[in-house]
Amino acid sequence: MSQLRKGTLEYCVLALLRDGQRYGFELVRTLSETDGLLVSEGTIYPLLSRLRRDELVSTSWQESEAGPPRRYYQLTDAGKRALADFSDEWARFRDAVDALVTPQRRAGR
Amino acid sequence: MNVHTDPLVDDYLRRLDAAASTLPTDQRDELVSEIRDHLQEALSQTPPGDQAAVRNALERLGSPEEIVAAAADPAPGQPAGVGSQVNVLAIASVAVAVLWFAGFGAVLALVFGYRARRQIKDSAGTQTGSGLATAGIILGWIGIAIVVTAVILIALHPNKSQ
Repeated sequence: MSQLRKGTLEYCVLALLRDGQRYGFELVRTLSETDGLLVSEGTIYPLLSRLRRDELVSTSWQESEAGPPRRYYQLTDAGKRALADFSDEWARFRDAVDALVTPQRRAGR
Repeated sequence: MNVHTDPLVDDYLRRLDAAASTLPTDQRDELVSEIRDHLQEALSQTPPGDQAAVRNALERLGSPEEIVAAAADPAPGQPAGVGSQVNVLAIASVAVAVLWFAGFGAVLALVFGYRARRQIKDSAGTQTGSGLATAGIILGWIGIAIVVTAVILIALHPNKSQ
């Protein structure tokens, strides 16, 4: 289960950026408060760093109304493509697993 | 509140920095500064000295070791070998062990082999070849055993050649 969570988490991050840029703290809080993902907030930062190195997201520093500047994350074109590919794949995967693991009444008995 | 004045936060960041010493320097610095900013943000509305809030924020982050482990992991779906290089010293270790050089190669094989294993461990997954390094080390010890055995045999039969 933990492998499955880890593998999908990076696409959850990309999905959160679909509608525009967000800063690290905001991303991390949203993910950690999403029921069922069960992530420690700190482990998301290495993931963000990896996504940036893989050029799926880019970052920029921006001033905040209060406090120090914040690092904002946004999707790159490669990130958008990776997210779109994953979304298709995931829908198929989810349906296939659902069909197998959901108990069904057998027809014809 | 300013996180730089809180001893619990200080202690946490120190542990994180120490645990992150296995990461490449730029990743280590980036990680520690991200976590520091995170805590600054998480505790910005907290009055100074609110230990419960600080503990809660640190607990949500997870342990420093857990965070560093996540950083050292190869990307999900990407096997460890992709994009990584075989450690050069590991190759050299096996090569000199095989060449043997009347025992000198065996000593070099051990030096290279142990050093290669440390470099691979410190590379956080960017280098491979620890199997090769181990092979070099084993061959190195065998080489030394041969030299020692030869010396003992010669010592036990000093007159054989006369």
